[in-house]
Order: sequence, then C-alpha cells, then structure tokens
Amino acid sequence: MNGDGPELEPRQRPRSEPGRETASPAAEADQLTDGIAGARVLIVDDNRINRHLLLALLERGGITSVEQAEDGDDALACMERFKPDLVLLDLMMPQLDGFEMCRRLRADPRWRSLPVLAQSSLNRVEDRIRAFAAGATDYVTKPINAVELLARVRIHIRKHLMLRDLERYHSRTRAELMLARSMQERLLPSPSRLAELEAETGVAVQAHFAPSSELGGDFWGIQTLPGGRIAVYLVDFSGHGVGAALNTFRLDAICRQADSTADTPAAFLAAVNRRLCRLLPTGQFATMLAGLVDPVAGVFRYASAGSTAPMLWLPGDEAPRLGDGSGLPLGLLASASYEDRELPLPPGARLFLYSDAAIEIPTGGQEGGHQVLDDTGLAALLAGRMRDPDGARLLAGLVGDLHAAGPIDDDLTALLLTRRG
Amino acid sequence: MDYGIEVRDQEAVVCLRGRLTFNDHGKLRTLIGEMGQNRARRQVLDLSSLEFVDSAGIGMLLIAREEMANADKQLILRAAGGQVKRVLTVAQIAKIVPIED
Repeated sequence: MNGDGPELEPRQRPRSEPGRETASPAAEADQLTDGIAGARVLIVDDNRINRHLLLALLERGGITSVEQAEDGDDALACMERFKPDLVLLDLMMPQLDGFEMCRRLRADPRWRSLPVLAQSSLNRVEDRIRAFAAGATDYVTKPINAVELLARVRIHIRKHLMLRDLERYHSRTRAELMLARSMQERLLPSPSRLAELEAETGVAVQAHFAPSSELGGDFWGIQTLPGGRIAVYLVDFSGHGVGAALNTFRLDAICRQADSTADTPAAFLAAVNRRLCRLLPTGQFATMLAGLVDPVAGVFRYASAGSTAPMLWLPGDEAPRLGDGSGLPLGLLASASYEDRELPLPPGARLFLYSDAAIEIPTGGQEGGHQVLDDTGLAALLAGRMRDPDGARLLAGLVGDLHAAGPIDDDLTALLLTRRG
Repeated sequence: MDYGIEVRDQEAVVCLRGRLTFNDHGKLRTLIGEMGQNRARRQVLDLSSLEFVDSAGIGMLLIAREEMANADKQLILRAAGGQVKRVLTVAQIAKIVPIED
C-alpha cells in the first residue's frame, strides 16, 4: 500500500541491536525456553516484502512458528487453522482492512484477549486512537525499529501465555472445587432421607447449608435409632474453605464408625474427640453438638463441644429458650470429657441448631462498634417465626432475616427439628 | 487486628486490638515470633481492646500457647470482654490456657 514503507530503519540492523550484543548464550537460551520460542505469530500485511522482513525479524528473535496473510479476510480464515498467540497487523490493506479485521476478531470470544500488535505507517494520534478503539493491544509505527518490535512482541506473548496459564489453572480449579462441593453435599442427608425420617418418627427436619466459599467447614448428620430415637449432630470446623472441608470428610468417617447407638451424647463426643486429637494439628479444631431425640421420654439429650447454644421452643412460648453450648472443642485435648444435658421435647416442640455464623453477623451497633447479632439477637428473630406451622417457610424466612441483619462471611448451617403434635 | 508489646520486669504484655480472624494469620505468626524473642517468661495477651474473635482466631491463640510452651514460656489471656469473653467461655479455653480477669 501507499506509504507502507520503508520497512526497517536502515541503521537498525538486527545484528547490531543494543542489548543483544551483551546477551550471553545462557540468557539467550533462557529466552528461547520461556515459552516464547514455541509461540505462534500471524503476520498480516498486504506487502510481500514487508511480510518477509517481519518474518526474518521474528525468526532472529527465536520465533519460528509464523504464518502470513495478505489481507483481513485471508487472516480471519487463517485464525481458525493456525490459532496464533499474537497477530502483527498492518492497518491499510485492500479488501478487509486492519481496523475492520481487528473489530471482527474482538467480536469472537475466543480472540478477545489475543494480543494484536498494529504496525502501520499511519502515525497520527487519531490513527492510533482508531486502532485502539478497534481493539488493538499495542501500536508501532513504520519504519519499524527491529529492537522495539521484538521487545513488544515478546512482552505481549509472555503476557498472553501467562494469562492463558492462569485461565487454565482457574478453570481446572473451579471444576475440581465444584466436584468436591458435590461430594461434600453428599455427606449430608438428602431431602428424601429426611422425608423417610419424618414418616418413620414424626419428627420433621428442615436444613439450610451454605458454605461461604465453594467448600465449607460445616456439616451435619442425622440417623434413626432403635426405639424411635433420633441421633443428630452438627459440626463446625475452625476456619473455612478447602482445609476445613477436608476435615469434614475425616470427621464424617469417624462419626460413621463411632457407634452412636449405645453411647450417651457425652460419651460419643469424648470418643470422637480422642480420635480427632490424633489427626488435627495445633490450631485446628471443631465445635460439635451431638444430641438424641427421645420421643418416648419426651426429651432432647445433648452434649456440646463448644457449639452454639441449642434453642428450644415449646408450643405457647413467646420466645425460644437457650440450652447450654459450653464444652471444650474437639481436637484440643485428648482427655477432654463432656457433659450430658437435657431439654424437654414434648409433641409440638421445636429445636433449632445452627453454626456460629448465625450469631457472629456484625450488626454495627452504637458508635460504629463491632457488635454482633449474638444468640439473644438470633432468639429474637426466631421468636417472631416459631409459630409458623410450615417449617420450610420458617427456616427460609429466618435465613432471610439473618442476611438482612448483616453480612455473613462464614459457613452457615441451620437445622430445624419439629416434633409433630 | 493490630497489637503493641510492652516488656516489663516479670512479664511481657501484648495488647491485641480490633478483630482477630483468619485474615490475621500472618500477623499473629509475626507476633508469636516476637513473643518468643523477648526475655519475659510470662507472655500476657491483653484482650480488653479485642472486639471480635472467630474460630480461626481461637485456633491461633492455641498455636501461640503451644509455641510459648515449646520456648519454655507461659501464655496467659487477660481481660477479655464481650463477644471474645463469650467465645472463650463457651469453648472452655480456660481448661487449656490460664485466663485472668
């Protein structure tokens, strides 16, 4: 095209590039092995001499996987086949010019982050702005300075390869986390299991489980025992995320092995604690509430390892009453012992168990302080909803109340057990 | 969370301020290092200005206790109030770490 030359500044012979003279063979080898050598570059220029010059320049820079196209249409066709890591794009070409080609490239999600280095003899500011508006990544003007062009090509390729690695890592990690999350959800009782349990025992169970990231440190379990009794437990590992989630799998295995049928809740916690103490490093622990619903005796027997206080509501009550959650968390002291406690559970009574996320919601409070919702705040929210005969609606409403109270930045688990009247 | 250390004759008093959560992991590691360095045998964590602690924060206090024991020092928690006191009480941390009012 007119005005598309001269192509190389005469004094810029690649052999005399400053910086290259001092490069040791080792440094040069480094540059060849950092991924750039294998990079693919597409040269788009209608001038054959230009293309050959650029090709020679890239080859001297260690980039040998190069294809050429003579206009935009040709280049777009080549994209599909060649899948370049960088496009060196002339702007003024017959048929489809560089501006339009760049726009079309950017319209395709696959090429949205591909580096496009515009090289043109158009050297007015408006031309550069037009090129950037069309989606160019960078711009060099002819006559081409060999050192500058190679430096820019290297920078953009390196950035592109790093970004691609990062995207691959990100999507692989996301896929793995989603798989792990579905595995973690399978630790929990399914809705059909809960429906069976209700039919069998007359105790309806509603659950809310929301990890604060893909994986959480909370889990819970429930099982029917002889005599119409029900064992239930709720666990909250310190911290959250992947580390805490891995611990939930360990503890799930321990809970399934420990025989909860014969033991009291306190003995069950002590047994689980002994096994967990051998596994956890200092600084990691779990709080846990283990309980037995005994419909014949009409009581809820429980033991707590530093769990939240269970809340009990009896028909006719204004507000739920609080049990006692105190106890040494699991995994701290192998010799720890736990205390059996009791709450009445007549027909129509309701039991609410929850992880500490529900009471650690920051509510701001006076003088911009650090007040949290607290268990009395939670009990007050519950009080307004306990009469709702629909347990699922009650729990969903309460979770809504909690989110309205303030941001929740920890795993939130909440269980509602209703003994049919 | 931030902190200040005052080394006295018999003990070093570390005043923790703000919120102690998982995000303070690095900072608490540094603090534990500093507590190991000073001469005092009794290392007191003054919690009166600590407004909030989560389970990860409790875990870090337990790590501090172990590190002090390894360095032949004693960790003491002092003057917890509000949410911090409630959490320490519920978890019966006094069974593991001495707690003073």
